[in-house]
Amino acid sequence: MSVHQSTEENNERRSFLGVLSGLIAAGISAVLGVNIGRFAVSPALSVAGAENWSELGPIGDIPEGKPIKRNVVVSQDAGWGKFQAQRAVWVVRNGEKVTVFTSVCPHLGCTVNAKEDAFICACHDSKWDVAGNTQGGPTPRGLDALEYKVENDVLKVRYQDFKQGISQKEVLG
Amino acid sequence: MADKSKVDQLVDWVDERTGVKAAMDEALNEPIRGGARWAYVFGSVLLFLFVVQVVTGIAMTLYYVPTADHAHASVAYIQKVVPGGAILRGIHHYASSAMVIMAVVHLAQTFLYGAYKQKRELVWVVGVVMLLIVLGFGFTGYLLTWDQAAYFGTKVGTSIAGEIPVVGPLQQKIMLGGTELTTVTLSRFFTTHVFLLPLLLALLAGLHVMLFRKAGPAGPYHNLDDKKVDRFFPKQVFFDSVAMLVVFIALVSLAMKMPAELGPVADPSSDYLARPPWYFMPLFQLLKWFPGHWAIIPTAVLPVVLFGLLFLLPFLDRRSERNPFKRPIATLSLLLILGGATGLIFLAKHQDRNNPEFAEKLKKQDEEAQAFFKVPFEPQVIGATTALAGAAVANGAGAAPPAYVEHCADCHGANGQGDPDLGPKLSGLSAKPQRTQDDLLKIMDDARAYGLKKPMPANFPDLSDSDKKAIVEWMLKLK
Repeated sequence: MSVHQSTEENNERRSFLGVLSGLIAAGISAVLGVNIGRFAVSPALSVAGAENWSELGPIGDIPEGKPIKRNVVVSQDAGWGKFQAQRAVWVVRNGEKVTVFTSVCPHLGCTVNAKEDAFICACHDSKWDVAGNTQGGPTPRGLDALEYKVENDVLKVRYQDFKQGISQKEVLG
Repeated sequence: MADKSKVDQLVDWVDERTGVKAAMDEALNEPIRGGARWAYVFGSVLLFLFVVQVVTGIAMTLYYVPTADHAHASVAYIQKVVPGGAILRGIHHYASSAMVIMAVVHLAQTFLYGAYKQKRELVWVVGVVMLLIVLGFGFTGYLLTWDQAAYFGTKVGTSIAGEIPVVGPLQQKIMLGGTELTTVTLSRFFTTHVFLLPLLLALLAGLHVMLFRKAGPAGPYHNLDDKKVDRFFPKQVFFDSVAMLVVFIALVSLAMKMPAELGPVADPSSDYLARPPWYFMPLFQLLKWFPGHWAIIPTAVLPVVLFGLLFLLPFLDRRSERNPFKRPIATLSLLLILGGATGLIFLAKHQDRNNPEFAEKLKKQDEEAQAFFKVPFEPQVIGATTALAGAAVANGAGAAPPAYVEHCADCHGANGQGDPDLGPKLSGLSAKPQRTQDDLLKIMDDARAYGLKKPMPANFPDLSDSDKKAIVEWMLKLK
């Protein structure tokens, strides 16, 4: 039951009891509202911090010069679950030098593909060379390289997502 | 004051287009014969509780997942992790009981005051339907946590529905969505609980209030106070508000002091001793006294007779007398039924306490539930290894390490159970010769040295030492 809004006629009846009733309604709404607010919002603000190293197989299996696609399993903390999800990465090896790119286009998040000696995003025709440098299209920056390491001749990558649509590479979260 | 007139202008602007002032007057200026009373607060409190349930219920669907494999984890997440979750779930839990109590009190007050008389038959009939819906809310909501009590309580509940002659078996199948209590059942209960029943209750509550406003409040049961008339606002609104506040404080206190229970996840293979929520206890107790075919008396005959009488009451009782002291049969019947139901609840509790076998089992279940409640939340692992994790838990080994899944599971089975054509089972290895932890690690470096033939690879160059160690430790835990 809400308290009446102010009109001339009802101003007279806007008695002490009416104000008290309004305070009670406001108090109950506040207790419920605060709890529902933090219930709905706070999990969205806590950042899931799963930054595990994923294996990409023996370094010797990576062909020289030609981009090769590998899947990594990333762990996402999402509410009541820990979700193991697959993500694709592109690996390019030039002798000792290895580069691992995410397959997420920095433009709008489509999946980047390799075509001969270049990367392309078919969604909006962005192009990069094998070193990830922009060669054309609407992409705001080069392909995002991921941190990697080689342990016991096994290539490992630390998968991350980056903000899209901006010229700097910035980790999401 | 200039501001205020602007507010008034705005109100006028809205009013000219909506008629809100007339509607508010209509709502708030309802005359109450005999004056405002505390006895009239229960209907408003019920409406308030319904709103609380809708609000807290909608909030919980932000995280709740109505499938058998995730429901319990999502409720545990709400209860143990999300800020405000325990309090919202607690309020929802206790408000469900409060609705049953308030519905009965509201009905009893209407009954005692004879307020179903004098052209108020339909108000009463709609109210009785709403009482059934409130019980339906309790029944369907109880399953949603998918813990032991929920699963077994609902299993018994649906079985009782199946015992009813003629319609029973079909009714049970429709409830369950098949012959067994499965994730399909959970979906149906969820849909019923959060879509169908709220919609139905909201419509009926609107109808109930509309019919009540048409007939007008019945006023006191004797005509002495009739000359006194209050408007609904402000005095009755204030009484209603205070009653709502008292109920709300009680709900919040209960939710904080005694959090809504959540036991371990449903395990259909366990011998859980099911007990219904308190408002179904009278039926539960009666079932003990009517074995076999006689069970139809408490499950079907008694409810049909009781609710049949409730529905027909305003048509059976045509006398105009409203004073409960001059209607001894009606008043005594009500006291007998309420007293009897309460007595049955206490008797059921008393018998459980004094039966050594049950008391011990119930105590153990209670301890298990409390132990689960105290354990910090563990997120459910979903994805590549979900099927493994689920199966391996039964083996006491937990989820298989990812390296096992990648390199070993194809031949030795997702759960180390083996494959007749490809690889032997890996459980019980430690009992065999040459299979110590050290041996197993060496096998992965040089399988041929241990006489293992293809398709077992001679070694695993892709695996790091820590991977191998994790695999061996997991294998040795397999039972």
